[in-house]
Amino acid sequence: MGASGLSGGMNGSSIALLFLLSVLPYSLLRSDESHPGRAIYQKHCVSCHGEKGQGSEDYPDVDPLHGTRSLESLAGRIERTMPEDEEDLVVGEEAKLVAEYIYEAFYSESARNGNRIVQPDLTRLTGDQFLYSVSDLIAAFQGDENPAHPKEQGLKANYSLNNRSKAGQRDVKQQNFKRTEPRVRFDLGEGLPTPPDGVSIEEGMTGFHANWTGTLYAPETGEYEFTLRTRNGVRMFLNEHDHKKTPLLDGWVAPGNNIREVKARAFLIGGRRYPIFLQFFKQKEPLSFIELHWRPPNQRREIVPSKYLGAHWVPMRFSTARAMPADDRSQGYERGGTVSRVWLEAVNAVAYEAADWVIADLNRMAKTKDGQPERTAKVRAFAHQFTERAFRRPLSADEKKTQVDIHFAEGRSEEDAVRRVVLNALTSPQFLYPQIANPDPDTSFAKASALALSLWDSLPDGRLWKTARSNQLKTEQQQRKKAQQMMADGRAHLKLTKFFHEWLEIEAHSEVAKDESLFPAFDESVFYDLRTSLMLFVEDTVQSPSSSFQDLLLSEEVYLNKQLGDVYGLGKLPWHFVKKRMPGTKRAGVITHPFMLTALAYHDDTSPIHRGVFLTRNIVGLPLKPPPEAIEFTGHDFPDDLTMREKVTEITRSKSCMACHSMINPLGFSLESFDAIGAFRETLKDSVAVNDDSVLALDDGTTVSISEPRDVARYAAESPQAHRAFVRQLFHHVVKQPLDAYGRDNQEQLLASFTESGFHIRDLYVQIALSSLNPNQVP
Amino acid sequence: MKNTLFDRRSFLHALGSSSAALPFLTGLPGLQAAPKQQAKRVIFVFTPNGTIPDEFWPDQQGEQAGDLKLKRILKPLEPWRDRIAPLRGICNRLQGDGDRHMRGMSCLLTGTELLPGNIQGGGGVPAGWAGGISLDQELKRVFQAQADTRTQFGSLEFGVAVPNRADPWTRMSYAGANQPIAPVSDPKVMMERLYGQVQDRENMEPVVGNVRAELLKLSQQLPERDRMMLQKHLSLVTEVERELQHADTSAELAHPMPDVDPDIELVNDNTPEISRMQIDLLVNSLANDMSRVATLQYMRSVGQARMSWLEIEEGHHGLSHEPDNNKQAREKLVRINQWFAGEIAYLAQELQRTADPTGGGSLLDHTLVVWMNELGKGNNHTLDDIPFVLIGGEKATNFEMGRVRQFPKHTPHNRLWLSIAHAMGHEVEHFGDAPLCAGGALDLRSV
Repeated sequence: MGASGLSGGMNGSSIALLFLLSVLPYSLLRSDESHPGRAIYQKHCVSCHGEKGQGSEDYPDVDPLHGTRSLESLAGRIERTMPEDEEDLVVGEEAKLVAEYIYEAFYSESARNGNRIVQPDLTRLTGDQFLYSVSDLIAAFQGDENPAHPKEQGLKANYSLNNRSKAGQRDVKQQNFKRTEPRVRFDLGEGLPTPPDGVSIEEGMTGFHANWTGTLYAPETGEYEFTLRTRNGVRMFLNEHDHKKTPLLDGWVAPGNNIREVKARAFLIGGRRYPIFLQFFKQKEPLSFIELHWRPPNQRREIVPSKYLGAHWVPMRFSTARAMPADDRSQGYERGGTVSRVWLEAVNAVAYEAADWVIADLNRMAKTKDGQPERTAKVRAFAHQFTERAFRRPLSADEKKTQVDIHFAEGRSEEDAVRRVVLNALTSPQFLYPQIANPDPDTSFAKASALALSLWDSLPDGRLWKTARSNQLKTEQQQRKKAQQMMADGRAHLKLTKFFHEWLEIEAHSEVAKDESLFPAFDESVFYDLRTSLMLFVEDTVQSPSSSFQDLLLSEEVYLNKQLGDVYGLGKLPWHFVKKRMPGTKRAGVITHPFMLTALAYHDDTSPIHRGVFLTRNIVGLPLKPPPEAIEFTGHDFPDDLTMREKVTEITRSKSCMACHSMINPLGFSLESFDAIGAFRETLKDSVAVNDDSVLALDDGTTVSISEPRDVARYAAESPQAHRAFVRQLFHHVVKQPLDAYGRDNQEQLLASFTESGFHIRDLYVQIALSSLNPNQVP
Repeated sequence: MKNTLFDRRSFLHALGSSSAALPFLTGLPGLQAAPKQQAKRVIFVFTPNGTIPDEFWPDQQGEQAGDLKLKRILKPLEPWRDRIAPLRGICNRLQGDGDRHMRGMSCLLTGTELLPGNIQGGGGVPAGWAGGISLDQELKRVFQAQADTRTQFGSLEFGVAVPNRADPWTRMSYAGANQPIAPVSDPKVMMERLYGQVQDRENMEPVVGNVRAELLKLSQQLPERDRMMLQKHLSLVTEVERELQHADTSAELAHPMPDVDPDIELVNDNTPEISRMQIDLLVNSLANDMSRVATLQYMRSVGQARMSWLEIEEGHHGLSHEPDNNKQAREKLVRINQWFAGEIAYLAQELQRTADPTGGGSLLDHTLVVWMNELGKGNNHTLDDIPFVLIGGEKATNFEMGRVRQFPKHTPHNRLWLSIAHAMGHEVEHFGDAPLCAGGALDLRSV
């Protein structure tokens, strides 16, 4: 490994061009008929690409000339790859002129939009936004504080020792005490719970009852499996305050004194807290033991960690296991761009469940009681409030009648009326299309609605609603202050975390198996631990004070636990995760995280192409089109003595491949010192030394020489191209709309503020949400 | 274990398309032709804490049908005097772990001993769940195994004021050893299970109409570029609305859903209303041939219901412990048991009023009702002389009614279950504990 970093250089004319671009606003670049690039285009390009870059009938495989490359990148690409098989024809100044011409005539987004002002598309709530909004709307009437971090971690415990020998016994002695426990994990053997300091257990005590109560935080949305391991009688209520109802887990009757497992699943909406309550007893059986485990979506089973338990009270929260159909991703990000029958049926079904939930708790939500004379009036008032909160704005007099009052017919019970009101509100276009409900983006209700949607994928909670009501979202300062407050909410954590799932394509790799003979220690649970390790690192970095994009790419440490320590040869490590350096070359944040290296590899070997494509697209931020011809890569078709690097080089050597693989391959090769499970290696089989040196030739003519994995990370951490791509991807995740629908130079402004903040990720998140409050408007 | 919160409307999930479409009514029986073989049905009704024997058992044995003279507790069944048979001398002989209330309850329909466990009763050693399948579930298994006896649900477990806790005192139905089945005590949950889809449709239709009107208005107001999506949405909503309207007229239940208030509060004082709702739902489910086996469980063993509707403020179990010479307590217990008998009389009446959907005659003709208790007598916790009463079902069972059937003392109740299994067409040699089946099925047939 030698010195590293940016090397090579730019020639004089490209510096001149960049200079020109940096001082001239785009509008001054001429794209009209007289542009000198046009003549060159007509001569060398038009036969394949057509007059407006749309392609031609003779060459149906040619993609339209639309894209997100910068002008300099476009010029570099033309210089290197165009016209196909005659690459020397258009080079140097000519390549730049052609690039300039097509960029302004039809290539860039602004060219395609022409002088038209881009407006946000009318979209409905995405599947997640719909579920989250329904749950939060109901929570608004049940108490909707949702801090990401509780004041006190753990659960409140109540212990009650007794000397009872049979049921129904009256003269029972009891000794009670309380404390807060970090988690539910007790192995008391034949003993009894330890009383507080200074208190001793009274004589004759034989059995005890215990309960643990508080909240459980769901870090992700999905199905959770809970397991009680116990020798005794225990039941657990989740999201249920009425402990006369059926518990989620019921192991009250123990068939013996051996350890057994009681399991149940529950679907939880992430970023939110749920009430949890466990009851436990030990009477005549000799031993007592209990552990509460969970298995969050796509993770390994573990004892529910302290940080997800809170020793406070929260209301019950509506949640449903009903799956919404997948949303449209044709623009590269999830958006509510289409409606379908399946979607409508899912919406109706969830609305139904929600109506049931509301009816079951109607008195509390409407703040009334059965038999109260003013109950009817209060229920109707609640129905109005429910609908206005669903519409995210006050109702007009007409709407009060047509959306609410109409359902309160003579002779119909209040419950039936409310059922219809809830169904009506949740299936109304005013709820499903936030832009329709608040057509004027400048009202405080529209601002509140947009803030909640951007930061939380949901609708305003009680506090934000109040702020909107009192018109406190007028100035940018007010908006910023509010947005920063909202960042402390679990919902913001959830949405930001979800972005990293997407950016790192974590869900695409939900199952990864490795060759057992090559990686005997690698199994599913190792993979789950790797995923947990990656997400711990990302969350830790993003939620740290500096929230630094650079740290994400350059951190040398990895979260590891005992199991991972064993697999990657780090000696004895504790059961829980600790930050550690791994052996071999220095790591580089997410790029060399063993999860990514494992997921982006074959079962028995590395895959420089998978790794390279990921780095090119997601980290370096260059768009890649699908390969011109599909070639299946099967490593075993090559002679045995070729290295993976040699095989990839061989199969991608053609010019049409190299258009993209000149970027993909060097990036992928740079990670060759990590094997298919991300462990460091100096040699391949047969003691061939790993070759991970490469040179990255960028479209703008510069080159980057790579001699260790961190060179890629350093390049991306410094590259405006990578920053811009990060801004764009995060924006699309947050707002789910075109960037320039919120000001023509929105992207550049966000980039500038990102740069200025020292690449502070949470700050960018807030900045993006604020930009979404000001959509372009047609006068 | 299911959690009602997360599973409240799981039928919707199973259905895939909730409230919207025609497929709604598939799975519900319509007005089709009756199946060839007429159905045999059985309902097991449980009431707790023993009886007052000398106010329950008729004095004379009644050698012949027709001369049965009912005492106070059975008096409410007077209209059905010729169609009932109190069975005297039958006893729950199961030994093993657990106190008598636990064994009385969890060994009742299972006929097997309790497994070891951690639940300490008022005496004896701690115990766990029953060690085998209960008779209702066994019959369900048999009926569901054959096309001509198979129904939508196979069995339905109704509860009235059963506290929501799972232990050997609250469970009598078992799918197998260690697999207790919880009765459904909330008429609303039962309604959803039986007719959820129909209700959904009724509420959804007017709402869909309202939403359609709103979409229509909006799609006319919006600028051209935004209109397309709303128009598509509008056409989908219109399609759903049309299907809902169509569904309304094209399919209906053979017997319409009973008119019960689904939002009744599950509190002690509402027990009489809940009891009648559950009976209505039960009869309706049989009338629509959704099930041929049912259980109806009042409270639980050791139940402490305070029957304020009878002006009794003490808990039932507490009263049942009072000595025989406590006249007041005794009177109250008689009234409590009379009330239970009255509910069973109502069940008989509703069954009689309803035509059998699978052939001629009434439901009562083809449905055997078995009234049972976990104890013989409350204050001595005896498992002897349990007050078993059979009602109706003569055409299905060929049992003789209208007189007391006296069996030798300590006749194990396993033998009664054999008789009922045989009458239902399930010819087994033993049920539950094999030694207790010695002597085989009891002869209950008319001579």
